[in-house]
Amino acid sequence: MKKFINIGLNRGMVYQLIGTLIGAGFVTGIRALMGLPYWAVDDANFGFTEPAWVAGGLLGAIFFMWGTRVMDGWFLWAKGEEPAEHHADPPGWQKYFEPSLDHKVIGVQYTITSLILLSTGGLFALIFRTELSASNIQFLDPQLYNTLMSLHGILMIVSILLGIAGVMNYLVPLMIGAADMTFPRLNAFSFWLAPPAAILLLGSLALGGFDTGWTGYPPLSARAPVGMQMFFLGVFVAGWSSILGALNLIATVLRLRVKGMTAFRLPIFVWAALATSIISLTATQLIGLSFQMVMLQRLFGMGFFDATQGGNPILFQHLFWFYSHPAVYVFVLPGLGIISELLPVFARKPLFGYKWIAMSSLGIALVGFLVWAHHMFTSGMNEYLRVPFMYSTLLVAVPTGVKFFSWVATLWKGKIETPTPMLFILGGIVVFLLGGLTGPPNATVSTDLHLHDTYFIVGHFHDTMFGGYIFPFFAAIYYWFPKVTGRRMNEKLGKLHFWMMTPSFLVLTLGMMQVGLLGMRRRIADYDAALNFDLTNLILTVAAYLIATAVLIFFYNMYISAKKGEEATGNLWRSRSPEWQTPSPIPAHNYDKPFEVIGEPYDYGLADSPYVKFDE
Amino acid sequence: MTEKHTDKKNAFQLGFSIFILLAFFTAAEFFVAISFASTFLLTMLALTKASLVLYYYMHITKLAKAEANEDRESYAYKTGTNRLGLWLFILSDSFVFGGLLVTRFSLLGTTRPELEQTLGLIVTAMLLISSYFMNRAETAIKHGDRKNFLVSLAITIILGITFLVGVVGIEWQIAPFGPGDGPEGAVFYALTGFHAFHVLTGVIFLLFVFRNGLRGVFDKDEKHWPVEAAAVYWHFIDVVWIIFYPALYLIGTLHG
Amino acid sequence: MRHFIILAVLILALTALVYFGLDTIGLLPVSASLQAVTIDWLFDIEIMAISFLFALIIVPLVYSLIVFRRKPGETGDGEYIEGHTKLEITWTLIPLLVVLGLAYLGAWSLGDTLRADPEAMEIKISAFQWGWKFKYPDYGITTTELYLPIDQQVKLVMESSDVIHSFWVPEFRVKQDIIPGQTTELRITPTILGDYKLRCAELCGTEHAYMLADVVVVSEEDLLAWVDAQKALIPDTVGPDPERGEIVVEQNGCIACHSVDGSEGRGPTWLGLFGAEVDLADGTVTLADEAFLIESILDPNATIVAGYPANAMPQFSLTEEEIADILAFIETLQE
Ligand code: HEA
Ligand code: HEA
Ligand code: HEC
Ligand code: CUA
Ligand SMILES: [Cu+2]
Repeated sequence: MKKFINIGLNRGMVYQLIGTLIGAGFVTGIRALMGLPYWAVDDANFGFTEPAWVAGGLLGAIFFMWGTRVMDGWFLWAKGEEPAEHHADPPGWQKYFEPSLDHKVIGVQYTITSLILLSTGGLFALIFRTELSASNIQFLDPQLYNTLMSLHGILMIVSILLGIAGVMNYLVPLMIGAADMTFPRLNAFSFWLAPPAAILLLGSLALGGFDTGWTGYPPLSARAPVGMQMFFLGVFVAGWSSILGALNLIATVLRLRVKGMTAFRLPIFVWAALATSIISLTATQLIGLSFQMVMLQRLFGMGFFDATQGGNPILFQHLFWFYSHPAVYVFVLPGLGIISELLPVFARKPLFGYKWIAMSSLGIALVGFLVWAHHMFTSGMNEYLRVPFMYSTLLVAVPTGVKFFSWVATLWKGKIETPTPMLFILGGIVVFLLGGLTGPPNATVSTDLHLHDTYFIVGHFHDTMFGGYIFPFFAAIYYWFPKVTGRRMNEKLGKLHFWMMTPSFLVLTLGMMQVGLLGMRRRIADYDAALNFDLTNLILTVAAYLIATAVLIFFYNMYISAKKGEEATGNLWRSRSPEWQTPSPIPAHNYDKPFEVIGEPYDYGLADSPYVKFDE
Repeated sequence: MTEKHTDKKNAFQLGFSIFILLAFFTAAEFFVAISFASTFLLTMLALTKASLVLYYYMHITKLAKAEANEDRESYAYKTGTNRLGLWLFILSDSFVFGGLLVTRFSLLGTTRPELEQTLGLIVTAMLLISSYFMNRAETAIKHGDRKNFLVSLAITIILGITFLVGVVGIEWQIAPFGPGDGPEGAVFYALTGFHAFHVLTGVIFLLFVFRNGLRGVFDKDEKHWPVEAAAVYWHFIDVVWIIFYPALYLIGTLHG
Repeated sequence: MRHFIILAVLILALTALVYFGLDTIGLLPVSASLQAVTIDWLFDIEIMAISFLFALIIVPLVYSLIVFRRKPGETGDGEYIEGHTKLEITWTLIPLLVVLGLAYLGAWSLGDTLRADPEAMEIKISAFQWGWKFKYPDYGITTTELYLPIDQQVKLVMESSDVIHSFWVPEFRVKQDIIPGQTTELRITPTILGDYKLRCAELCGTEHAYMLADVVVVSEEDLLAWVDAQKALIPDTVGPDPERGEIVVEQNGCIACHSVDGSEGRGPTWLGLFGAEVDLADGTVTLADEAFLIESILDPNATIVAGYPANAMPQFSLTEEEIADILAFIETLQE
């Protein structure tokens, strides 16, 4: 027991449980004193009343942070003392379960958490895909279907946010030659917000679920079971993790670059990370706000979105999408950055049009702020908004196109090698292209009148998210795994993973698009047998299982490679990037000797053109 | 010594004149609102006020001063980084308030809720004056004047608490509607609630600074970043109110 | 140079293959309205553009992978090409023009779907969890199936009594959300006779998947005949009439939730309800007299029956006569 509680994560969870009970109990007590109903008689509320559950959820998350001791440094600071800048991590695996101030440890923590959420979300997908394999209801009741589907969506999205945070945390300080992020304590805090957020999200399952999809539109979300509140709280907490992480990242890039690392000598991934962070930093507040407003509506009857009280349900959609559209570029920009980062290494050629690619990331991020209403073409918002938003939406295709053309030009006349990371990069390009090209039909309003809320959209966004995130994320893991562990991942298993996942995935999304065009709505637990979608849906389900098997192979590969993979401590991929110029795994304080940037980052094929020079 | 002296004087003078200007504009706003209610004019006035505060109080100009090649380990460089971090946070936070403003104008349009005008004017004045004392406190600690620092800080805190009492303790009780009474209630309680929450955190922040100030943590000449941070945050809260006040109390016609 | 000729040929070939391949598979359901025509026309253009752009990226990608792959034993790097500003400008400007063109076509085709016919027949649609109700003001009938006259524009004026729903008949293409608190409009001109299904396209809760209604496109005469048949169903008596009540209940979709034979539904059964004692969620017991029933119908959340969720039953706009009919009907349902 002592051992158990000595581990930060466990301590956090125990505290969260206690905090939840205290919070809920406190509100229950107050309500009892005030003579309000304090005990929910009907079982829809699971004992506590809704306000009690909300207070419990919130306090639980705070207690978690307290329990992990990640805020201890701040408490010291508040007392007017100077907390230590660094503290030594426990050796071995244990440090990953404790608050650490080392950006590399935090990066790994993020990545692992992201993979866990990915599996959970994927597992939910498998469950509801099984339900969908034939028409009629097989084994899920519709409410549970809706809950699983909604949780699948939000868990995957949170998993992406954590995944990119992991990759950015690990790589950006290394790439710019910093010893750590600028605010290590804030960095740890941002990460440790994620576990309680995930617990809250999954907790919704125990409190009746929520049947609104990940978008949580009121008035439906104002009527859903208490689980809805846990969903809102979970997203809110995860959102803060994302905001604070982005803040840290921007400050790091602006303040901690080594000498000579000017704007256009940054590794291209850093540009992508920067563009992403600008979005997360600002837009995320709006999803938090819109969700809080629904929470307030539920708790205090504040009728923001309640038409019977003069509120406006459309307003929610504006606030929500103001974040959630830019967010989709948060999902892909780091992935596209990884693609741009690795292509030159494996094509052994300079990145074609570095400045254009760097600027296109910013372009996508900025234009991405102006397009949100394309999710609302059929919503009944003001008519005159539709056409301007169509124009702005389509404009995003231009900077995205610049990336694609530049990638192809980077490959042209290269000396292309295709180890596993490169395969995932290429797969990512193809899949993201499919996803991107299915964007314009959604964007031109009249065609969207047909496509909106069908499986075509589902196909579109799985393609963009897989191509823009999942594939590059896997590539990044295969590529930087040696950096983290000093061992490389098994190539054979890696290739098996790729060749099993990619075709199944293409079948999955192309099939989705096909049934979508033919009239299959999204978010349905059952479809009309008369539509003849049974066979296609069965194929989609089989494809989903194949993807899952491939992912399991990947996990197995990770596990055995970390234990007894082939050793790789040097510059395995012959990269020019600074992090590969030091031995793997990297020591706690990153670089032994400081370095200076004296050349261009991607001058492959040019003899005697070092990018960085280490001080003697 | 003389250089420092003029510096101190300048800071005070600028702080004082900005305070006077703000008070003047707020009064102007109030009279515009009760006499001829031009939404355009009121919005312009609010924005002018906000930019005035931003100009001086918010230390924007200091951001540019952070030299790239300075010693990374120096207190000055780290303070520069902290300053950037705080600013990014404020940028992020202002999106919340932006969203609330959008909500207000989307739901209420050019009508406004029926509120106690005198009380509104008083709490607004409290907050404005508190910002002035915050500035005084900061200028004082910059020059090692600990006594003045503590006194000004204490006044800031008291004014902040008075503001909270005025809004949450009084206005919330006497408002003719509850949170569940239509869009007016929702908007009013949400805007003042979110803002009051920030004031509360600001007060707590100031209390910590005050306590550490008592214990002499900021005595040394340059090490007063926490004071600056608290000041910037406090001014930010003030700016938010400077926009919320006309948005809630002044702009628009009374709902029939 | 040779590279580029091969590429051009392959790109054209792949474009044609994708485009005609998709064409043969058949991507869209039958196009059965005037509005569908312009939408399908834009789809066609976009599929052409997508096929081409897909080929434009995939062909050089795969070609490079084959031609420029590292051969066994080769060392050394690729050619040192840093970029090409003119090329970059080209592939910024051309897509820019293409998307501007697409947006223009999109706006144009949107305008086409919105074209209003002043003569259009108006139908009032109420959507609720989870059903549809159609009111024909011109004919004074209310039904649960949507009959539409062929080649004639109808103006659907839609409102929702609870959450957001969405009107969608795939064969008509156009879709419009239905929002509580305001009305939305949709114009449709059916062009092919036959049976279709209206499917709610916005997640609206548990039974969203089943929120369907039959849509029948008929000729003008058949429509009138159908209207007469609907009218004939309603007895022409004065005062509360259980038979008319049964029809009202049918047309308003009450029996989607309330059974008349004692079986479990989303709402309490009506069998034996009238005059019985009802347990309420707040623990009290009340007598199901007329006053209680009227209140339960007009303001479903005023009292909640024990064991059933609040907010489940939508608010209906029923006339006094209709309610009297319903009560008369419920009264007949005794065990
Ligand atoms: C990673 C995420 C991601 C990305 C990158 C994108 C990218 C794009 N998306 Fe997507 N989208 C989602 C994730 C994403 N989307 C999600 C999750 C939803 C559903 C949310 C929900 O409801 O649950 C959605 C829904 C969605 C809708 C709403 C549909 C509806 O519900 O009715 C629309 C409408 O305009 C749209 C458009 C676009 C466009 C135009 C792009 C563009 O950025 C694509 C640009 C790329 C290309 C076009 C390809 C490459 C370019 C070239 C080769 C150059 C030449 C091209 C041309 C000249 C056209 N998306
Ligand atoms: C990154 C984001 C992401 C990813 C990777 C996926 C992955 C998958 N998605 Fe998901 N999906 C979304 C994001 C994502 N999805 C979103 C945002 C929605 C919208 C939700 C909404 O409408 O609100 C959605 C909706 C959605 C739908 C529509 C549901 C509906 O409208 O009713 C479907 C239907 O087939 C689907 C299927 C799948 C499948 C089969 C996978 C497969 O790729 C999954 C493969 C499986 C795994 C990756 C897990 C493998 C691991 C294991 C099996 C191990 C398990 C072991 C342990 C737990 C230890 N998804
Ligand atoms: C979507 C489902 C649904 C529909 C449609 C619906 N109801 Fe109900 N109804 C319920 C539920 C659930 C309750 C119990 C909870 C409550 O009291 O609100 C209920 C309760 C009632 C009661 C209260 C008395 C009792 O004990 O049964 C009456 C009377 C009633 N409905 C009449 C109607 C009439 C008349 C219509 C149609 C015009 C209708 N309902 C349509 C779900 C529905
Ligand atoms: Cu109604 Cu879905
Ligand atoms: Cu979008």
